[in-house]
Amino acid sequence: MIIQPRRDDHLVIGKYTGKVIVGVGLLMAVPLALSLVLGEWSVALDFVISSAACFICGFGLQLLCRTERDLGWGHALVVAAGSWLIATLLGALPHSLSGHEGSYLDAVFDVMSGYTTTGLYLIQDLDHVSNGLNMWRHLLTYAGGQGIIVVALTFLFRGSPGAYRLYVGEGKDERLLPNVVQTARAIWIVSLGYLAVGGLVLAAMGWALGQTPLRAFLHGVWVFMGAWSTGGFAPQSYNTMWFHSLAYELVTVAIFVAGSFNFALHWAVWSGNRKELRRNLETVSFAVTLSLTVLVATVALSRLGIYPDAVNLFRKAFYQLASGHTTTGFSTIYSRAFVVQWGPLAMLATTVAMAIGASACSTAGGIKGMRVGVITAGFVADIRRMISPESALIRQRVHHLRDILVDSPLLRSALTVTVAYLTLYGLVAIVGAACGYDFLQAAFEGVSAASNTGLSCGVTAPAMPVVLKVVYTLAMWLGRLEFMSVLALAGYAYAMVRGR
Amino acid sequence: MRRRVLRVLRCALLAATLAGLVWPAPVLAATGATLASLGSPSSGDLVEHPAQWDGKVIDFQGEAVGEVMRRGDSAWLHLNDDAYSRKAADDIALAGYNAGQAVWAPSELAAQVKICGDYSHRGDLVHVVGIFHAACPEHGGDMDIHAVKLEVVLPGSPIARAVSGVRAAAAAALSLVAAGLWLLWRRRHRARGRAA
Repeated sequence: MIIQPRRDDHLVIGKYTGKVIVGVGLLMAVPLALSLVLGEWSVALDFVISSAACFICGFGLQLLCRTERDLGWGHALVVAAGSWLIATLLGALPHSLSGHEGSYLDAVFDVMSGYTTTGLYLIQDLDHVSNGLNMWRHLLTYAGGQGIIVVALTFLFRGSPGAYRLYVGEGKDERLLPNVVQTARAIWIVSLGYLAVGGLVLAAMGWALGQTPLRAFLHGVWVFMGAWSTGGFAPQSYNTMWFHSLAYELVTVAIFVAGSFNFALHWAVWSGNRKELRRNLETVSFAVTLSLTVLVATVALSRLGIYPDAVNLFRKAFYQLASGHTTTGFSTIYSRAFVVQWGPLAMLATTVAMAIGASACSTAGGIKGMRVGVITAGFVADIRRMISPESALIRQRVHHLRDILVDSPLLRSALTVTVAYLTLYGLVAIVGAACGYDFLQAAFEGVSAASNTGLSCGVTAPAMPVVLKVVYTLAMWLGRLEFMSVLALAGYAYAMVRGR
Repeated sequence: MRRRVLRVLRCALLAATLAGLVWPAPVLAATGATLASLGSPSSGDLVEHPAQWDGKVIDFQGEAVGEVMRRGDSAWLHLNDDAYSRKAADDIALAGYNAGQAVWAPSELAAQVKICGDYSHRGDLVHVVGIFHAACPEHGGDMDIHAVKLEVVLPGSPIARAVSGVRAAAAAALSLVAAGLWLLWRRRHRARGRAA
C-alpha cells in the first residue's frame, strides 16, 4: 500500500525548499551589483524582479510551512530534486526578461544546463548579451557545480542530520569534516580559493592576449567558472576558440581537470596528502580512459588528414576529449566540425569519453570514474577467481582515500547506477533519432546532455523540436542528481495522488 | 605498473606541450592585396564545406564583435555574418545563434576597426579578402581567414537600451512584497529563538 504524505511532510518539504530558494535569490545579488556598476540599468531591473520573486517564494514558503520537524531521508531527496526544479523555473526569469531567449522553455533549458554544469545553450545572439546576464550564466554554473544545496547549507542551515541528508540528496556523499555545514563551507573555501587564483591568472593571460583590462578580468572570472565547474559556458559564441592561444588552452585544461576531481581528493591534497593524487582510483581510471579515447580520436583524425601536422592534431584531439571526459564542454572547434571534419570514429570516442565522465562528488557528470574503476576491479577479481584454485581466497581492493574492498554490495551499487545512466543515454538518443536526427548525432548530443557535458555537434539549436528541449532538460536534471532524488520526487507526487 | 603508465602519460603530455610551444609556424606564401577572390562564402558554407574552400582566397563580410586582440604585428578579430550583422542598431529582435569566422589580419589593417559589437554596440561591418584555412597550420589547427585586405563598410553604432517603466514599477512592487515577507519571517524567527 502506498502511504499518502501527511500535512507534516508537506510542511517540512516546503520549509526547506523555501530556504534553498532564498539562497538562489541571494546569488542574484552578484549580477545585480555588476549591472549597477557597469550602468546596465535595464538588466539590473531584471535582476531586482527575479531576486524579489525568489524571496517572495522562499520566505513565503517558510512562513506557510512552519514546523520544527527535521528532514527524513525521503524528505531530503524530494527537497533536493524539488528545489532544483523551482530554482530553475525562477532562475530562468533573468534569461527570459533579457529578450535573448526564444521562449520561457528555452530559458529554463539554459538555466537547467547551467545549474547542472552541462553547458548546452539556446540563448540567441550571445555576442550581444549584457555583462550582468553573462555573470548570471556563469554564476549559475559555478554555484550549480558545488551544488545549490551546498550554497544554501553554507549560509542558511544549521548542522543537523537533515542537513546531511539534503547534501546526499544532491548526489554527494563525501563528508570532509564531521559537520555537514562545515563540509559545505570547506567546499566553498576550496572553490573560492581556486577562483581567486585561477580567475586572476586567466585575466592576466587575456590581457596579455590583447583584451582590454575589464574584459580580460570578466572573461577570466567567467571562463574560470565555466572550467572549474566543468560547465562549459563561455561569454562568446566562439567558446574558448575565441582566445586562439595554446597557453590559454593549457590553463583551462588544468582548471577543468582539477574541477573534475573529487572534493575529498582536493581536501586530501590541501591537507598535505599529495600521494593521494596518483593513488586514487578515480585519477587512475580517468588517466587510462582519457588516454584510450584520445588515442582512438587521434588515430581516426590522422586517417582523415584534416589537421596539418601531428602536434596540431594532438592539440585539437586532446582538448576536445579532455573537455568531453571531464564533462566540461569547452571547445576549440565549431560544433558542426564534429560531424563535418571529425567523422564517426572520433565522434564515437568523444561520446564514450562524455558517457564515462569524471569523478564522483565533484562538479562533473557522467557515469563517473569511480564506478568504472570499481566495475573493472570486480571484473578483474572474477577473472582471478576463474584462474585460481578453488580454495584460493581472492580479495580485490581499490584505493579511494583508503583501501576499499570490492565486495558485492559495492559492485551492485556501481552497476545499478551505471545501468541507469546507460538506459538514460539510450532513451535520449532514441528520442533524438525519432525527431529525425542521424542516430550518431542524436547519441552524441543525448549523451552530452545526460552526462552534463555540453559539447554539441549541432543538434541543440533554438529551432529544435520542443519535445527534444524537454527531454534534454529532464536528462540534464536526472543525470546531475544521479536519479534517486528525481525518482523520489516522482514517487512523492504519485503518493500524493494515489496514496491512502 | 600504474606508476609506469602515469609516468609514460606525463612524459607524452610534456613532450606534446613543448613541441606545440616551439613548433615553427610556416610563413604564409600568399600576401599582398592583389589576390583575386574565388568567392564569397558565408560562415555556414565554410563550416559545412571546409575542404572545398581550404587554401582559397575568399571575400568575407561581417560585424566585428568583442574586441580586436593585438598580437604583435597582427591581430585577431571575429566577424559575425549572421542575421544580426545586417540589422539596424535599434533592431534587437531575435534571429537565432551567432555565426562567424575568426580573422587574422595585420595590425595596421585591423586598426581600422573602431567599434566592436557587444551589449551596448552594433559593431563595425567589416569586409575582408583573405585566405581561408580549414585547419590553420600557423594557429594550432583553428579554422580562420588570413586577411590581406580589410575595409570598414559600415561604422558601428550604440544600441539604445531603454529602461521600461512597467518593469521599474514591477520591480518596486515585488521588492516591497519581498521586504514585507522578510520582515515577517525575521520577526517569527527571532520569536522562536527567544522561546527556545
